[in-house]
Amino acid sequence: MTTNLVPDHVPPEMVRDFSLFTSPGMSPTPNGDPHAAVACAHDGPPIFYSPYNTQDGRGTWVITRAADQRKVLQDTETFSSHRSIFSSVLGETWPTIPLELDPPAHGVFRSLLSPLLSPKRVRVLEPAVRERAVTLIDSIAASGTSCDVMKEFAFPFTVSIFLRFLGLPDRRLDTFVGWAKDLLHGDDVKRPVAARTIVTFIDELATNRRKEPVDDLMTFIVQAQVEGRRLTDEEIRGIGVLVFVAGLDTVAAAIGFDLAYLARNLKDQELLRSEPDRIALAAEELLRAYPPIQLIRVATKDIDFEGAPIRKGDYVSCATMIANRDPAEFGCPNTIDLAREDNRHAAFGYGPHRCLGSHLARREIIIGLEEWLARIPAFRIKKGTAPITCGGHVFGIENLILDWS
Amino acid sequence: MRIIVQNSKCQGHARCAAQAPDIFKLDEDGYILPGDIEVAEGQELLASRGARSCPERALELGRALAARVESDVIQPRAWRA
Repeated sequence: MTTNLVPDHVPPEMVRDFSLFTSPGMSPTPNGDPHAAVACAHDGPPIFYSPYNTQDGRGTWVITRAADQRKVLQDTETFSSHRSIFSSVLGETWPTIPLELDPPAHGVFRSLLSPLLSPKRVRVLEPAVRERAVTLIDSIAASGTSCDVMKEFAFPFTVSIFLRFLGLPDRRLDTFVGWAKDLLHGDDVKRPVAARTIVTFIDELATNRRKEPVDDLMTFIVQAQVEGRRLTDEEIRGIGVLVFVAGLDTVAAAIGFDLAYLARNLKDQELLRSEPDRIALAAEELLRAYPPIQLIRVATKDIDFEGAPIRKGDYVSCATMIANRDPAEFGCPNTIDLAREDNRHAAFGYGPHRCLGSHLARREIIIGLEEWLARIPAFRIKKGTAPITCGGHVFGIENLILDWS
Repeated sequence: MRIIVQNSKCQGHARCAAQAPDIFKLDEDGYILPGDIEVAEGQELLASRGARSCPERALELGRALAARVESDVIQPRAWRA
């Protein structure tokens, strides 16, 4: 672990040896449970400073309480979301859009993109989502009594839906997933190469769609107008890159963690299989238990926040997996109760940057579980195999070999 | 009897409408329509569930409604926990 200098304004007693990257259970671990591992953040003070808590090794304040995370994420004036999360990998500073724009500019682009992923629009996409799930699962069921869910279902299912939305061909699915993997989980050499590859790809796609429009997201973006003008190349790139990266592995990870949970908890598995009406509510609990990301904000001014002397430029981490295990917000937060009500989890964040794709993601998870449970009989983790999980930038599960022989 | 809607806090999670689509009406983008909501008799429990599903705390139960559903909702939950 890199030992970073703790800034002078951080009181030494507020520094804690905790990190989503280096704490126990965060590196690739067979049979790991990284979400449960970070719940230990609630054993200490509600806010502390972690000297090493971003992909590029920076320190952050860590906000553990859901109520405090809401305050941070709803207050975009004090806590900006622009930290060049993608472009900084290339030594550049342009924002991903709309994620890294603050209001009021944020609203302009958010309104442009919202209709594409609204609950109404997602209802229209739903038959295609279900058809894709059924096709994949039927083929798995026909070819044996075991499979690697990540390779054969979770990734092909979620990514192909996403590629269709973007207007990209399925046959390049593995290539795209590889880029995302290098970008999100790669080392200092792989990350910039992946970032450059993605930028070049998005720029070329934009050029192609300008020349030959089709019915897809990129065509929509290059033809769109905001405030009476066309979008700039940098804005088009900012949107394209964000949408591309955001859809590539979060939903697949969620489905992987969910099926791993059900493989280990046969009573819950059987309950959902025999009473599929329970799946929608259960999916919310699984979103609470296994969300993949932490949200980071940058303080725009000095502020004393709930006892923490946050100074301008400090990073403030709102990890969804920590908020979702807050005992002040959820009774028995470490118990997974698929019938839990009053479940105001933070899986999609709070505030104006609430995950734009949340409605699609939610339906993909529910449909994926419905069709899997309807078509695959009682399944367990295959003997002699162990799912490898990791924490970090995006919590993930690398493999999940299920067996229903 | 009424749900107080704070539109400025709504971020389009649409969880209220998922609970009770006939009570919580959304605009084209999935954000709640402006204006407080009068809850019809017999709909209180459903309405309170919808309001309590909002991650942003944009929906507040009017006092009369809160008191009325408390006996139905809070107690059954206590034994389950």
